[in-house]
Amino acid sequence: MTRYVARRLAFAGLLVVCVSSASFLLARLAPGDFFTESIAAGGNPEALARARARFGLDKSIAAHYRDWLASAVRFDFGDSMLYDRPVRGLIAERAANTAVLAVTALALATAIGLPLGVFAGSRRGGLLPGAIRAASLLLLSMPPLLTSLLLVFIAARTGWFPIAGMRSASAAPSGVTLDLIRHLVVPSLAIGLPLAAMLERLQAQAMSDVIGEPFVLAALARGVPRRRVVWRDALKAALRPIAGVYGLIVGTVLSGSFAVEVITAWPGLGALMLQALRARDVYLVAGCAAAGALFLAVGTLASDLALALVDPRASEGAAAAEAA
Amino acid sequence: MSHEHACLHAKSSSAGSLAHSFDRPTFWPVSQLSTRLRSRTSISITLLALLALVASTGCGSTPQPEHAAPAAHNPTRGGEIVTSIRSEPQTFNRHSGRDTSTNLVALLTQARLVRINQATQQLEPALAESWTTSADGLTVTMALRRGVVFSDGQPFTSADVVFSFAVAYDPKSASQLADSIQALGKNLTVAAVDDHTVTIAFPVPFAPGLRILDVLPILPRHKLEAAAKAGTFAKAWGLTTPLEEMAGLGPFVLSNYQPGQRLIFSRNPHYYGKAADGTELPYLDRIVVEVIPDQNAEVLRLESGQLDMMTSEISLDAYAPLKRAADQGRLTLLDLGVSPNADALWFNLKPGAFAGDPRAAWIQRDELRRAISLAVDRKAIADTVFLGAGVPVFGAETPGNTQWYWTATPETPHDPAAARQLLASIGLTDRNGDGMLEDARNAPVRFTLITQKGRPNYERAAAIVREDLKKIGVAVDVAALDVSQVIDAFYTKQKYDAVIYNAIKTDIDPGTNPDFWFSSGSAHVWNLRQKTPATDWEKRIDELMARQIASRDEGERHQLYDEVQKIFAEHLPMIYFVAPRVYVAHSTRVLNVTPAVARPQLLWRPDTVAAVH
Repeated sequence: MTRYVARRLAFAGLLVVCVSSASFLLARLAPGDFFTESIAAGGNPEALARARARFGLDKSIAAHYRDWLASAVRFDFGDSMLYDRPVRGLIAERAANTAVLAVTALALATAIGLPLGVFAGSRRGGLLPGAIRAASLLLLSMPPLLTSLLLVFIAARTGWFPIAGMRSASAAPSGVTLDLIRHLVVPSLAIGLPLAAMLERLQAQAMSDVIGEPFVLAALARGVPRRRVVWRDALKAALRPIAGVYGLIVGTVLSGSFAVEVITAWPGLGALMLQALRARDVYLVAGCAAAGALFLAVGTLASDLALALVDPRASEGAAAAEAA
Repeated sequence: MSHEHACLHAKSSSAGSLAHSFDRPTFWPVSQLSTRLRSRTSISITLLALLALVASTGCGSTPQPEHAAPAAHNPTRGGEIVTSIRSEPQTFNRHSGRDTSTNLVALLTQARLVRINQATQQLEPALAESWTTSADGLTVTMALRRGVVFSDGQPFTSADVVFSFAVAYDPKSASQLADSIQALGKNLTVAAVDDHTVTIAFPVPFAPGLRILDVLPILPRHKLEAAAKAGTFAKAWGLTTPLEEMAGLGPFVLSNYQPGQRLIFSRNPHYYGKAADGTELPYLDRIVVEVIPDQNAEVLRLESGQLDMMTSEISLDAYAPLKRAADQGRLTLLDLGVSPNADALWFNLKPGAFAGDPRAAWIQRDELRRAISLAVDRKAIADTVFLGAGVPVFGAETPGNTQWYWTATPETPHDPAAARQLLASIGLTDRNGDGMLEDARNAPVRFTLITQKGRPNYERAAAIVREDLKKIGVAVDVAALDVSQVIDAFYTKQKYDAVIYNAIKTDIDPGTNPDFWFSSGSAHVWNLRQKTPATDWEKRIDELMARQIASRDEGERHQLYDEVQKIFAEHLPMIYFVAPRVYVAHSTRVLNVTPAVARPQLLWRPDTVAAVH
């Protein structure tokens, strides 16, 4: 198991290096750079030449990449051209905001999707399971971009929730948490509802498979109450497939929901990455990509470990594969 | 010269009411959701309610906001407004950042010697209370306001003025403003006569004169001299600088910066400005600037009352919902008139750019550009691209620049037949009967038009140009690229056929844009930085503009510039099609704004803006 974890961690490190390197190189390879627009806007050519040199943009791509990589291994990702401050600090700041949003959205998705999935999957036919299925399919067919626009629209028309941002300018110190929760509603629902629909569909499918298993029928035949059989015995067995994909979901959400963060002005990693890409801020692009990859790797690893705990066969399989 | 174009079209909706919703109750807490999940019936109700909610809002049932009629329309001290920017400032140092957000920070927190009244285009005193000009027009003696102190309480003197110029001109500062405060590429000489008097000497006769100083913030020497001496001025006042280390002479101080979220500006208690009735300015206690990257969210927040104004014009797509809100009395929508800037199409006119290319025989010809001007339906662009809110443009200036627009600019009709004739005159005819033109070598008449992707104005205009030129037999391949790729192509590498982009002029006075007009200029985009003028007409423009910039006679300056515009219209190095109208909106609780076409349209004079409070 220890070797398995070590290998996964090494893989995570490799993933981060590959993703950030690819981002760095792609950002450098495209024509123009961060300062191109300033030149056309009438920027002082000498000042811009000095700025280019300061950020290494006057070097060849190979030399620039080599220097950046040498710094990056020491966790120095350079200074952002956009903000003129170290990328590391910026990323840490924004990643924390993304984590708050992602964890809330995941909690919401799990709290909504799993119970509805169990309910819908344990029933054959009926109006309510049908309605749940229809709602899930509707939500699944809507990309988060559309969901967030719709929710922002509703929030704007009703005034129930703040449309954008993470905190109010006028929030009293005593009401900071409540203020944060109010700001979380729109973006977390925008990310969480499609995820809830996905979890509901997966859980319903798994539950409907398990509900016909002999051990469930036997329990019911022995007179164990249906609710107990469904929510205790069948659910435990039906959780395995969900746990298998949960890691990917965790990683994807944590690595940033660009559209939602931009539309709801959530100051997270996704919005920062988009800004960096638009501005061609090479260091910031690479830093954001590294953070995203790290989230993905850690999320997947955590999920795999959780799966191993839920289902020992998973870790045995991994160990066997490793031995082979 | 009096000039009031910015206000001519302004209109106000009926006096409305306050639609502020920060404190609205939250009635769908997350905890309720889990409670409801306990019963099957509740699940159905929750889902149905959600769907019904979506349906009802989609149908446009708008709950009425909590109205609170303004108590009075006279501006008084107090209150705050909430506005927005699309991206954070790159720095708090105006010398190091050219972006609009950095400019806004400088506008709110710093003051200048003189200010251009963006509504009238007249020069106004600011930190310089008055000034006199020498007989030869080369030296200006400025009397500075007395008793003015920085926001940290330190007195303002002529030493701060001298320092501000010195730091801008110091190559180590890498100032983005250095070029803007030069006269024909040469530095001004600034000297302190005493603590409250400075002289500014122009190296050459320069008609725009003090207008160019509108961009230069007067900085606190006591705060920044050490950085300037150490050669670290370019990095001074970055985003991580503690806010108390900064000081300014502007109406506000930056009191809170929440990265990625907002900037809060509070009243500068030491600000020098006073209203006509003696009230100490600024009126507002606070300006909150929210960072909202998405324009749709920005408009929705404005519409719902969570924003009081934006710092830029509204996009034409947002006009309809904001008009509805204005009709309901929740917003004031203003038509500020025609923009002095318009998008343009230009060809690569650099000599030799098409060497070895068979198209060299015709692609740089005046006739081709004139034919394009005839073939493109400007009204279609106004209707399609600007949703009817645009006016046709035929020359270098738009009617929005009422001071310098040549009123006799010939209007090119939409005449595809005349365009075809013009092309035939340079040997471009349909030789194989396929409806498309071929040149003398029987090669198709075809060029690539690059533009910036993600900018609907450019992309839609490029599509119309392609369709209209196809009708006269000219094939156009439109390539929408990232902004840096577009600029790289036409500016850095100068390898392109044609481009649709916007060469924005820094000020309406043509004398402040020598880089655009002179053939040697770095913004002479169709053929950059020429050693000697490539054409006779460019040589003539160089001569006329040199005289125009040097002349102290306003009448003569206009006459000369009219001639420049005439030459431009004849040779069309840039083909302008349509200039948009500029619309802005603000909540009805905002008072005393003086709208102007230039950004930030409602906040260029932040000290006099007030709010119902």
